[in-house]
Amino acid sequence: MKKERFKKGWRSPSKSELAALLEKCSESSDFVTFKFHEQSPFAISYYQTLVDKKVLQTSVLDTLKEKEKEWSTVEEIKEAVPIENMTITSQISDIRDKLMSGHILIYKEEDPSECLLISAANVQARQISVPETEYTVVGPKESFVESIETNVTLVRKRLPTPDFKTKELTVGNVTKTRVMVVYIDGIVSQENVNTVIQRIDDITYDKIVDASFINQMIADNPSSPFPQMVDTERPDRVASDLSEGKVAILVDGSPSALTGPTTLTEFFTAFEDYFTIWEMATVFRLIRLFAIVFSVLSTPLYVAVLTYHYEVVPQDVLTSLFASRAGIPFPPLMEAIILELTIELLREAGARLPIKVGQTIGIVGGIVIGTAAVQAGVTSNILLIIVALAALASFTTPVYQISNAVRLIRFPFLIGAGLLGFFGIAICSAILLAHLLKIKSLGRPYLAPVYPVRLKDLKDAFIRLPFDKQITRPMELRPEQPFKFRPKPKPNTKNDLDIDE
Amino acid sequence: MLPLPGEDKQVSPYLAFYVIVTVQVGVAILSFESNLVKDAGQDMWISILMAAAATHVLIWMTYQILNKGENDVTVIHRQLFGKWIGGLLSFLFIMYLFMIFVLTLRTYIEVIQLWMFPQIQNWYVALIIAAIVYLYVIGGFRIVAGLCVISFFLTIPLMLLKVFPLMEGLITYLFPIFDYPITALAKAAKTMALNYSGFEILFFCYPFFKQAPQSHKWAQLGSAASTFIYLAAALVSIMYFTKEHLAEVFWPTLTLWKIVDLPFMERLEYLGVALWLFVILPNLCLYLWAATRGLKQLFAIRQKKSLVFFLFLGVLFCAFLREPAYTERLLRFINEAGLYVMYIYIPFLYVYQLIYHKLRGQR
Repeated sequence: MKKERFKKGWRSPSKSELAALLEKCSESSDFVTFKFHEQSPFAISYYQTLVDKKVLQTSVLDTLKEKEKEWSTVEEIKEAVPIENMTITSQISDIRDKLMSGHILIYKEEDPSECLLISAANVQARQISVPETEYTVVGPKESFVESIETNVTLVRKRLPTPDFKTKELTVGNVTKTRVMVVYIDGIVSQENVNTVIQRIDDITYDKIVDASFINQMIADNPSSPFPQMVDTERPDRVASDLSEGKVAILVDGSPSALTGPTTLTEFFTAFEDYFTIWEMATVFRLIRLFAIVFSVLSTPLYVAVLTYHYEVVPQDVLTSLFASRAGIPFPPLMEAIILELTIELLREAGARLPIKVGQTIGIVGGIVIGTAAVQAGVTSNILLIIVALAALASFTTPVYQISNAVRLIRFPFLIGAGLLGFFGIAICSAILLAHLLKIKSLGRPYLAPVYPVRLKDLKDAFIRLPFDKQITRPMELRPEQPFKFRPKPKPNTKNDLDIDE
Repeated sequence: MLPLPGEDKQVSPYLAFYVIVTVQVGVAILSFESNLVKDAGQDMWISILMAAAATHVLIWMTYQILNKGENDVTVIHRQLFGKWIGGLLSFLFIMYLFMIFVLTLRTYIEVIQLWMFPQIQNWYVALIIAAIVYLYVIGGFRIVAGLCVISFFLTIPLMLLKVFPLMEGLITYLFPIFDYPITALAKAAKTMALNYSGFEILFFCYPFFKQAPQSHKWAQLGSAASTFIYLAAALVSIMYFTKEHLAEVFWPTLTLWKIVDLPFMERLEYLGVALWLFVILPNLCLYLWAATRGLKQLFAIRQKKSLVFFLFLGVLFCAFLREPAYTERLLRFINEAGLYVMYIYIPFLYVYQLIYHKLRGQR
């Protein structure tokens, strides 16, 4: 076998190799091989389900039928067929991959050393729709779809510059998923791009179904509950992140893009913040931040206070607190855990059910169970309020994945509070902080601009300053071009004007 | 001798500020006023300033030594005194740092026992804190420095609580100024000087700063910030308590938190004691990090191993130091040692190195 191959030249596929491939393919019922007539030297093979019938009919078959008899090589066909993407190859692996991605194979049965592959992929894509998880009242309402071509188009039309570059990789040894790393050359730090490409190259897994797979696999700390890349379905957000000097990853078949390196504060940044005036955006951001702290700490504080430190509650509040807890058989910790689990149960049930049934679950859970639990004396009114508020607060996070992390870390805090009161909460915070300090996103510190302290980057972290103050790109990303724009010098006369001038 | 730390392990020089503030403001700030008031009365702020001035000079000397040696203290010791004597000195230094670690831990446990959980066992708290210290120190100096930054910002709200006693304080308690003789003030300054200890950490973390000589000004600023914090605490205490009362109150700062009265919260000392974890944690981490780093320099012991060993030893010490009298005795011993290290050993090293380099230059 080896000798035979050597004689024929290693480049051209042996007749048997191609035949073996075709035979394997034809075991699937949607694989078609045919000839126009008995004498024709050419055979045509393709997957019916992958090929666009219109292209096949109008561009390929019609042309072939007209002039087929005149040809003797595949080159001549290549010149005649009016399609842009055609290749002539003899590499068997190439032929296989292209067949599987919707190419039409034309070859000479007697001499299959050269095969023509015509691209006619049937792209089935959902219509571009309104973003659902990151909906904004103001601003663009386009969101990514499952087709990577459409997604790149959506980003590229927002960044009309040849510096916007895409690099395609293939990952997953079964799914052969196409992944594109996109960035703006000249702004992005090449180091970050290399890190991303390197890590995607290193992925060894059979199936990559969604961008979230990549997100978990290239994370610096894969076991952290905190996502280390932002997951977004908004092309405008990706375009804006790229122009700041980030790298984005698009995955075929996934309606979301990943951008990074990121920081913890970015997960509390809604893209809508840039659509409203800066004071408003700042207030909303601070509210969100407060909501997160509240969401993590409120129930543990309740448990800590009622278990150990009731002295810290002022007299008047204490009365109503104890009145609501009178007759409840459980210790505060158990009471809180039961309620928290109930909320999680409701959320999980709501997430699994269709929207309309989900609403019913919300009403049944929220109102019926809540009221009944209080009346039955299982939980106190006040805890019910606190737990509900905390759950509400955890949903204020603009990026979905971080809200999961926030809800998860609440449970260790609860147990800490139940064991050691305020001191237990402080211990949990210290452990959390150690974890956050250690996390990196694509090799860049996660807690920036707080640590390492980057005063300049604070302009767009907890607060958002107006656009004319946002002169520099985030230092954390090490952009090659640190300035977003050159501010125009302001005319001096303005300062001298008096009231009545 | 180990190579200098790589750039990815180093931190920016400005972090020296946070490192010095957090290491100087430790568990001592909860109780230092009542020690000072015995000697210096309402003039204790002068003693604080005197000690602060001396500390600035000592930090300057430390940097002179380190800039010449261009490495940490173990290397300098070996260079100046040879392998054996230098090694012994370094070892003693490391033991000193470890003992401060144990005492800081023990004092914090005592605060928790006195103010929060009277029944709680020493070893239980020590074990928990040791686990947290492990989490930080295992991350290296970069993570410990990060803890210093966060801890600095977390404790600012605690400092702001001083406003409440200040509103009820009497400014007349500050007068007459210069009522005490200079010898009494100096004696109080000597007591105060101990609270400034901790900057000896620089002897170990110096090579971990990028452009290390530039961190000098930040270290000085950090020391000045500690002075500001101590001064604020002292002035508020003087204005709120009478002299006689202050001498009797053992934890003035905690007592002052008691009087904070917010509409939704009272008795803030509970919260304060818990949050104080973030003040002593950088201390513990820095001391232990320095001790393990020193051991690695001396004997090439992996830091991961010596860290576990030291933590185990620390928990053991805390578990057996149950009698306040023993703790007191150990504290006095370490204080004495600290004074020698700071005020005799650092100047000695400075002068010795100066002569050493001069002689070698001549040769």
